[in-house]
Amino acid sequence: MTVSVPRLEVVDVSAGYTPGHPILRGVNLKAEAGRITVILGPNGAGKSTLLKVVSGFLTPQSGAVRLDGADLARLPPHGYIERGVALLPQGRSVFPELTVGENIELGGWTMRSDRRRLRSAVEAMFSRYPHLLPLRHRLAGSLSGGQQRAVEIARLLVANPSVLLIDEPSVGLSPIVAHQVYAELVALKNEGRTILLVDQDVRAAIKIADYVYVLNSGKNDIEGDRAAFEGDLGAMVRKWLGV
Amino acid sequence: MLNQIATIIADGILLGLIYAIAGVGLSLILGIMGIVNVAHSAFIMLGSFFAFELFRRFSVDPIVSFFLAFPVFFAAGVMVYRALITRVELAPQTQGLVAMFGLMVLLESLGTIAWTTDTRVITAAYTNRSVLVGPVMLANVKLIAGALALLMIVVFWAFLRYTLTGRAIRAMGQNRFAAMTVGVNVRRLSAVMFGLGIACAGSAGVTLGMVFPFSPNTQILWLAWAFLVVILGGLGNVANTLLSGLVVGLIQTGVAALLPFDYVYLALYVMLAVILVIRREGLSGAVRRQI
Repeated sequence: MTVSVPRLEVVDVSAGYTPGHPILRGVNLKAEAGRITVILGPNGAGKSTLLKVVSGFLTPQSGAVRLDGADLARLPPHGYIERGVALLPQGRSVFPELTVGENIELGGWTMRSDRRRLRSAVEAMFSRYPHLLPLRHRLAGSLSGGQQRAVEIARLLVANPSVLLIDEPSVGLSPIVAHQVYAELVALKNEGRTILLVDQDVRAAIKIADYVYVLNSGKNDIEGDRAAFEGDLGAMVRKWLGV
Repeated sequence: MLNQIATIIADGILLGLIYAIAGVGLSLILGIMGIVNVAHSAFIMLGSFFAFELFRRFSVDPIVSFFLAFPVFFAAGVMVYRALITRVELAPQTQGLVAMFGLMVLLESLGTIAWTTDTRVITAAYTNRSVLVGPVMLANVKLIAGALALLMIVVFWAFLRYTLTGRAIRAMGQNRFAAMTVGVNVRRLSAVMFGLGIACAGSAGVTLGMVFPFSPNTQILWLAWAFLVVILGGLGNVANTLLSGLVVGLIQTGVAALLPFDYVYLALYVMLAVILVIRREGLSGAVRRQI
């Protein structure tokens, strides 16, 4: 599967939930195509807020979110999806009382005017993740945590988004399933997709990262490629904890 | 004796279908959108008067009015959603309740101004006729109203179950945030859902108006019946609302055949209390969906 190569850019973004109290204060980052860009930082650094901004769930108070140079910052969430920017939220997000097939089909909501294309995209997902095929008619809420994550990833990919925003992908998963999820993220990167990953599992995230940004108190702290972070993780975490 | 029992059962089923259609819109708006639409019965009342006026002024048969009511009340529901619900849907639920209560009072008052508190009936050609189905004598009007109600419930159920938009509406009720992450415009879909709920209320009003006398004040009585069906059946599930309506209809005709009518209320509310003690979520076991 080949995809176009957009580049996501966050330019001097300030954002928050109440006027005058920004959580993000002038954050900048770039996510290149075919690369995994990881955002790290202590609790309260603004990582999840940043993902909300770049997925349209939170309108920035100032600054720009650009996709291939076009500003998306004022678009609603469905506007981002229509432009190929998709969010995999933290925690469980399947529709528990819909079947696996129905969940995956809804991932192609933006393709609903072309039913044939939608059906073929859904079948492509069952070909890509054949272990979901026997579960097709099961209610998604009845599946294990790992199976639900697989459904969420398949649902995320139905519309073939070129930018994936991934929030804490391994939360609540066993180490084996978490490993599979990270391996899948690498596979998606190798297809040319742009991946922006927010993760508390610093070690696992750095392992698959191409470039890392660290946020602290809503601002850019340090940044660099994977090699710059691999050796000194302990020091970084101690700094977050103020030890 | 057997004929009598069969008649009571058939009558209860037909009545139950009408109660079910009165409750289904309320159940879905509450279950999927989390809005306690106490103005639901005011739209039922307007549905009855919609059929009444079309019949009186233009001799339009209530069966035709039933189908006309759906798009008319759908449009009304979408307008109410845009003008009122969007202002209160994210506020604490009490604010929404007050807003819907205000709408109910407004509609009832406008109804009283327009039609006074006199009781009206719609007397179509088939209103006072009966038909013998096997050993059972059935009033034509109940048969027609029950069939229309069943048709609407089946169509509504199929829409929610088998269409992508219907599934998106159900998904929105199960996880609003996740629905937004797949690109669902929840504002637009909520307007559709609310419109469909009000369309059900309007069409239910036509069927109720075909069978029962009505005035602007009777909407309060229908609100109680609709809530009874919804609480008994649980929220957001068409099939369980149908089942609940049938149970209420059968109890009404069964008890009314043996005892004075007031005992119907006693039986229903005792049953409701028992069910809520045993199963807090109603018969369906469905819990209220947060949005």
